[in-house]
Amino acid sequence: MCGIVGYTGNREAQEIILDCLKRLEYRGYDSAGLAMVSPGSLQLKKSMGEIAVLESNLGHMPGTTGIAHTRWATHGKPTTENAHPFLDCKGEYAVVHNGILTNYMGLKEELLKKGHEFTSETDSEIFAHLIEDAPGKDLKSKVLSVLKLVDGAYAIAVVEKGKNEIVAARNESPLVVGVGHDENFVASDVTALLKYTNEVIYLMDKEAVRITPDSIETFDLEGRAVKRDSQRVSWNLEDAERSGYPHFMLKEIFEQPRAIHESLLGRLESREEDSFFKSKFPSIKIIGCGTSYHAGLVGKYILEELSRIPTTTQISSEYRYSPVTESKPLVVCITQSGETADTLAAAKEARRRGCKTLAITNVLGSAITREADHVIYTRAGPEIGVAATKTFVTQLIALYLLGLELGTMSNTLSSERRRELIADMRSLPRVVQSVLNEASKIESLAENYKGAHSMFFIGRHINYPTSLEGALKTKEISYIHGEGYPAGELKHGPLALLSKDTPVIAICVRDHTYEKMLGNVREVSARDSPVLAIGSEGDQDLMKYAEEVFLVPRVDPLFSPVPIIVALQLLAYYLAMKKGCPIDKPRNIAKTVTVE
Amino acid sequence: MDYVIRSLVSNQITDIVMVVGYRKERIMSYFGDGDDFGAKITYVNQDKQLGNGHALIQARDHLDGDFLVLPGDSLMDARSVADLLSIGAGHGALVIESEMPAKYGVAVLDRNRISGVVDKSGEGASNVVLTGAYKLPASFLGVLERCVEGGDYNITHALNLSISQMKLEPIFGQGLWIDAVYPWDLLEVNHAALLNLTAQTAGKIEPDVLIHGEVSIGKGTTIRSGTTLYGPISIGSGCDIGPNVSIFSSTSIGDNVTIDPFTVVRNSLIMSDCSIGSHSLLSQSVLGYGVKVRSHLMASSADAYVNLEEEFYKVPNIGTLVGEDCAMGSGISIEPGTILGPKSKIMSGSRVTRNVPTGAIHS
Repeated sequence: MCGIVGYTGNREAQEIILDCLKRLEYRGYDSAGLAMVSPGSLQLKKSMGEIAVLESNLGHMPGTTGIAHTRWATHGKPTTENAHPFLDCKGEYAVVHNGILTNYMGLKEELLKKGHEFTSETDSEIFAHLIEDAPGKDLKSKVLSVLKLVDGAYAIAVVEKGKNEIVAARNESPLVVGVGHDENFVASDVTALLKYTNEVIYLMDKEAVRITPDSIETFDLEGRAVKRDSQRVSWNLEDAERSGYPHFMLKEIFEQPRAIHESLLGRLESREEDSFFKSKFPSIKIIGCGTSYHAGLVGKYILEELSRIPTTTQISSEYRYSPVTESKPLVVCITQSGETADTLAAAKEARRRGCKTLAITNVLGSAITREADHVIYTRAGPEIGVAATKTFVTQLIALYLLGLELGTMSNTLSSERRRELIADMRSLPRVVQSVLNEASKIESLAENYKGAHSMFFIGRHINYPTSLEGALKTKEISYIHGEGYPAGELKHGPLALLSKDTPVIAICVRDHTYEKMLGNVREVSARDSPVLAIGSEGDQDLMKYAEEVFLVPRVDPLFSPVPIIVALQLLAYYLAMKKGCPIDKPRNIAKTVTVE
Repeated sequence: MDYVIRSLVSNQITDIVMVVGYRKERIMSYFGDGDDFGAKITYVNQDKQLGNGHALIQARDHLDGDFLVLPGDSLMDARSVADLLSIGAGHGALVIESEMPAKYGVAVLDRNRISGVVDKSGEGASNVVLTGAYKLPASFLGVLERCVEGGDYNITHALNLSISQMKLEPIFGQGLWIDAVYPWDLLEVNHAALLNLTAQTAGKIEPDVLIHGEVSIGKGTTIRSGTTLYGPISIGSGCDIGPNVSIFSSTSIGDNVTIDPFTVVRNSLIMSDCSIGSHSLLSQSVLGYGVKVRSHLMASSADAYVNLEEEFYKVPNIGTLVGEDCAMGSGISIEPGTILGPKSKIMSGSRVTRNVPTGAIHS
């Protein structure tokens, strides 16, 4: 998604800004641009495609204050004209914007009537022209008066000709301030700044900031000063580097044993005695988007099994359309970044409806943590690969922990069963490591399927959502159409699509669904589809049914999605690698989706 | 390897190239870019593990001027690295006088220089053993490259060819150097590494836990009541130990390990993700990653003959050596000096008197 970077300090800004901008590349973008407060004028350069292209077109732009942007097209096509920053008619102000303005059409018409000339099709450009006309003696008051006019989501940063200052503001789009020595930053996320500082200030919605090389003022939209303390971020730059791996995705897949270990640290021995869990919840609703939604679908099985509280899972953007119910469910919001616009909106709606909310997120201090009544952090560390891997697995861990807590509170979990489950959870880092040790086997299996145009992933019970997530990974990065399906539903339709050219990945672990899964494997084999069965270690029979078999360590069926999804992540990765796809930056998709 | 990197960094050597191959992911995930260690680590891949000369050639593009070569699988303290650096602008090889088998060959000495490098098996070979650690000039890489291209993948041949042009000094190390040739060497390496341990407690310690000497406890670890720890002991993060467990020196325990009540551990190495059931005894033993023991395991130690790849070695005071992911039932007793292969399964009530191969089931 769009990314913003701004720098003001005593050093030449060009290199620093480009460096920060490159660290936002993972968010996904189609064009980029930079505006510099140079002696005598505001200089501007934009280009389509990668930041490297922009860099080669730049030449030297002198100046110690500047703003830059990576754009992911929403309003207007991905073209150089539509790339940010935008200038006003006189070339005195430059603006970068992330988000979507809902009332821009009306504002744009008024500006056109006044004779302003627009160079792009974007909603963002109106900011530059509005600031040009705005009353106020300085940049800060001009920006504030413009923000009163616009509706919608925004994170903006503005510079003025001849001034070493940046004014920035946010509403429902992310923006952080980086605190340096004799220099300060703004950016869409912390990752961009880690090389220069790990001290940041998180702005709240409808707050603005003015930074100069040696000052930071935070204020609300009325211009009243608000005090925001800086926080130290424990991530370091190294976490955001590839450390010898060819792709971030592979690095992150291999970090999963560590991420699970970290997510469990100190949470198994002692219970969270939080008053939050004292309330009785009549039902639970889990909401999320994409991979987080799939974690939520697995969560339904986990929470119902452990706490016996009826649970449903819903896609965030659909939640607002569901009617208000008489009983108030606990609403569990899952978002990796904590900034996903659809999930944030749903969390706000849930609060409005009087529901208790619990967030599962990976980012400390992110927007969702301010919305929710209770937060469970996944401790996965920064995830750069666009395809979520370690955050999915740690979201499952958070759901298991939540299930244990709710189960204990509602007395549906005997202490003996609890002890067994905890022992099993402790084995998960090792179980995942064992799957990773077999990566080369999956790499050679991928060779069989790389020519496929379409693949099916089938499973039952808790591994039905696992099959959905496996299919999503395959779609996202290897561009092979993958479809996850409940194995029992095949005969009600999709069997018609199967042939020798559509491989089927069947999840056949040794649980109560095993016999039925074998039946489904026979069913698809009869249509000549090549079958790769993912089974439990020690299963000798599976080879009689499936063409290829990959075995994962045996765990309690409740935990089986963890080793299986790791195998499916590796399969998707190697398929993409063999097809030569851009794994860390798949086409058209963004890491953090901050628009609705 | 952690120890070797720390030894380098404490000598201000921070630009480190690691040649990795087999299971490189584990190493890369552990060290990252070296930031946590105060170093900058670059990784170079060796696709096939052909030999140490071949490995060194992979790093060629990252080397200019003099460089150090250190084997990753031996334990070398900061003093040994300092010894290697002490020859200033010269070049040399770190050696020790030893009767032990020499993985990297032995040196033939001619006054104060090395005149040749030979296998230990040769007649009249000296007891000056090469440790595999060198300080070498960039020009050596040219010679090495020709040898590797000619199919000679070990560093030895290239060293012999270069010795006429460059003076290679023997450096008799004053520091600590232990090569883990055999699995039981790990206990000695562990013992040595723990000598420098300083006590640190990040975990939770319940009342009535007795701690003597240097004990380091990682974050998120719980030590339960009635447990006694005689340092030096190092315990990783996220472990659950006790109540009423006794652990004696010199023991290292990895991350995410559980040890149940009434278990006794002496001078052992327990790697991450192991769980040991109650009423067990573990003495002078090594447990690989992810070993699971139900309860009542008797793994005591004594002087024993250890069978390693059909050769017998007399090892003093040795317990059991357990490969990763081995799963044991309850009530098992194991003869000292026995090796249990990775992923093997030992059924409850077994008495194990011989080695168990990889993946085998012993009942």
